Amino acid sequence: MKFSKLFLVALVSSLVFVSCTDNGTDSVDAGDYNNGVLVLNEGSSGQGSVSYVSDDLTTIVQDAYTTANPADLLGKYVQNIFFDGNKAFIIAGGSNKITVVDRNTFKIIGKIETGLKNPRYGVVSNGKAYVTNANTYAAWPVTAGDAGNTDDYIAVINLATYTVDSKIQLNATANRIVTANGKLYVTEPYNNDKLVVVNPTTSAIENINIGSDADSMEEKDGVLYILRSPFGVASEIVKVKLADASLTKIAFPSDLKGVKNLDIEQNKIYYTKGTSVYGMSISASEASFVPILTYSSTSAYGKMYGFAVKNNRIYIGDGGDFTANSKAYVYSLTGTLEKEFTVGVGPNGFYFN
Amino acid sequence: MTLKNYLFCLLALLCQSLCAQIKDTIILKEVVVSDSSLLRNNKSQSILVLNDSIIIKNQPTLTSLLNYNSVLYFKEYGRGMLATVSFRGTTSSQTAVIWNGINVNSQLTGNADFNTFTTLDFNTISIKSGGGSVSYGSGAIGGTVHLVNNLVFKNNFENDLRLDYGSYNTQGINYKALVSNKKWSSQFGFSRNSSTNDYEYLGLFTWKGIQRKNENGQYATTNVSANLGYKINDNSIVTFYSQTSNTDRNLSLITESDSKTKYINSFSRNLLEYSQTKQRFNSNYKLAYITEKYQYYDDIALSKFSFGQSESLIAKMDLGYQVLKSIRLNGILDYNKTKGFGSSFGDNTRHIGAFALKAVEKVNANWENELGFRKEVSSDYDSPFLFSLGSTYSFSSFYTVKANLSRNFRIPTFNDLYWQPGGNPNLKPESSHQIEIGNIFTYKHFTIKESVYFIKIKDLIRWVPGQGNNWSPENTNRVETYGSETILSWFANFGKNKLFINGTYAYTISNNLETAKQLFFVPFHKATAAISYSFNQFSVNCQQLYNGFVYTRSDNDPNEIINAYWVSNIGIDYDFRCTKSFKLGFQVLNLWNKKYQSLENRPLPGRNFNMYLILKF
Repeated sequence: MKFSKLFLVALVSSLVFVSCTDNGTDSVDAGDYNNGVLVLNEGSSGQGSVSYVSDDLTTIVQDAYTTANPADLLGKYVQNIFFDGNKAFIIAGGSNKITVVDRNTFKIIGKIETGLKNPRYGVVSNGKAYVTNANTYAAWPVTAGDAGNTDDYIAVINLATYTVDSKIQLNATANRIVTANGKLYVTEPYNNDKLVVVNPTTSAIENINIGSDADSMEEKDGVLYILRSPFGVASEIVKVKLADASLTKIAFPSDLKGVKNLDIEQNKIYYTKGTSVYGMSISASEASFVPILTYSSTSAYGKMYGFAVKNNRIYIGDGGDFTANSKAYVYSLTGTLEKEFTVGVGPNGFYFN
Repeated sequence: MTLKNYLFCLLALLCQSLCAQIKDTIILKEVVVSDSSLLRNNKSQSILVLNDSIIIKNQPTLTSLLNYNSVLYFKEYGRGMLATVSFRGTTSSQTAVIWNGINVNSQLTGNADFNTFTTLDFNTISIKSGGGSVSYGSGAIGGTVHLVNNLVFKNNFENDLRLDYGSYNTQGINYKALVSNKKWSSQFGFSRNSSTNDYEYLGLFTWKGIQRKNENGQYATTNVSANLGYKINDNSIVTFYSQTSNTDRNLSLITESDSKTKYINSFSRNLLEYSQTKQRFNSNYKLAYITEKYQYYDDIALSKFSFGQSESLIAKMDLGYQVLKSIRLNGILDYNKTKGFGSSFGDNTRHIGAFALKAVEKVNANWENELGFRKEVSSDYDSPFLFSLGSTYSFSSFYTVKANLSRNFRIPTFNDLYWQPGGNPNLKPESSHQIEIGNIFTYKHFTIKESVYFIKIKDLIRWVPGQGNNWSPENTNRVETYGSETILSWFANFGKNKLFINGTYAYTISNNLETAKQLFFVPFHKATAAISYSFNQFSVNCQQLYNGFVYTRSDNDPNEIINAYWVSNIGIDYDFRCTKSFKLGFQVLNLWNKKYQSLENRPLPGRNFNMYLILKF
């Protein structure tokens, strides 16, 4: 179909749709998703979804995306949301696409549907978006040199046209990504024991040995804090000083194994183990082993599936059984439960409007 | 097979006969049915027989035939895609598909994909409701579906050719040659059914307003079969059945940017059988070799695929003895060696030995009792002691009552036991206790069958997230399922006018005992109706399918359901009789252009058309 024709179809049908939806319910007015928290629900057999809870914890919309765009499908296994101004980019890893919406109304603005293959996480830096793509996966049992472990790339996205302009091949596996000082930092917990550092202007790649099983990370005051949880031994936080790539470590007490979800808020590092949340001062040299709170969960795999600390609150998403809508919990920083509400299937992250 | 056995068959069929058409086949005493004990030994349960006159009125997939003509509920991942069943509220691996008497459910997944079977390759397809593990082994909890090739011993040479062409470039060639005399019988078949399958999704548009359609949904199913029989003498017969099948499918996308994937299934099924009858003794020996293989391409652009394969050798010996005039005993020994290998579970071999004892007591012309036991010994799991106890009693030609109590099981599959990572070698088989009572009312050409059942299943195998990132199977839930099935049929002849009406209705409660919720993807209600009318060479038929809503989530969230749907098909054909039969037919499927789906985001086609030519010469 020619573009002009396509445009015409789009125009006509959008008119039709606008006139249809105007007759619909008035449950949500434009801009109703500001001043609140977005909960990203991965989905399982069905599509992923986004739930919303207002800052005063009174308004809850269980499926904000479908409410705003009734006929559209967000995609399978939604993994991450990143923002560019008032736009939210929702990554659906299982559908190789990113849906761009107005972060306050959730109305669809565009879709990026080519150039992505199993996209994971994204950031915006210097007017472009950078999204890690797991590309193909190695087949089990993994043989040395399987392309699945070396073909991951970063898709460079033009924020004006919503197209993938270029790809930066990493020759490694890639998952989480953060940006600081104009550089991109990438970790991947299963098949990579390095921190991959990318200069997006030159596409130059450097690898810093940090050890295996590095997952969540955050940059604060020129230091990148990376949480590592190798199987069977105590977890640790690796601190990478970005100026000279020097490493220091904060070892965890020996029974703090399998620690997840590093999040830095107001000079405190928060992390979780099992169903407990811990916190320590960012300047501490030893990790705390006294939980701030412990919530109850019957989920076999989805304990602390989503986690964030923001605006004096702790947010927890419980994965449940992944075949039914699940729960999110809001706690105070001292561990008092403020709210419990139903979200979608597999809540894996919180984002703040 | 002897006259005595034929009489058994005949009686059984008469009792069971649902559709009056069956009588046509019964009268032919020279027919040899591969799975003769189906009707002989299971009179206490309800069996619905679909013969070729029904088969040809339906689309060629087994899914479509059973969906429109039985109480079985299906969910399909798009038209022609993977289709799994729920029978009496059980899971997809708790219904067994029996090919000429041999259980052919996948050794890897436990279930059968009903879209890999082409109905026109068989002569009759029967559906037995309820437990059947004593006779048919693993998976016979909800019921069994029997695919049967009949061998006919009479002087005959016939070619059956059917050609189909329909919407979405759907094409079918189905050919069968039947060559037989009084000593030999043979059947050769070839079928190929394919479709580009790019149907539009009714009323669904992309966000840019472009009509959405089924992308990457093309499929082709090819079958070659040969069935041979030789009557050594009046008392003994040797038969051989063989089928090779290949289903090559791309898998429909949910959204346009999804990765395009592809799935190839191939099967080879071979069975050599020898039966002998001498006075009070009869014996039956079976040797079967069954293979299955799948290849999954997670990106059709790449040549990389994962695969799984199984090879089974099955030997079975069934010795029967007529102890008294009224009592017959059968002792059965069988042995099954299955080798499974593939990219995700290495190389494993499983041995199963089993002993079964069955007794049929014919108290008098109206009353018959059945009793059966089976105990398996396996290298992989502890097997429960299985039994079946049944009785049927005819109060009059008008009313018959049946009752059956049984214990059945579903064994863990190769995937469950050995999948890497995650497989759990310590699984127990799922097992069930079940009871059913059936009432059959017959008046002239009108029959109504009503069954109620109760099934309690424990140790349900479910893949749950386990250690680390791996999902792992566990014996978790207990389920109670109960409900009723109603099947009615009516046949009328007014001069040259013939009318058949068949209807089914199932009411199903399937309750997870831990959560007290209905199992997801089990409808409370399902109903079908088929009406066909013929006058001279002209015939018209109409099918109705009503499927009640199903929950898609384990918590029975009322917002997460698949809506109920009611779909109708209509077909007409005319037999020009230039040859034995020369039928030209036309069908409209989904006549009212209903928007429907059986799985979330897997729309099925709107109104579409098919035409066919059936030649017999």
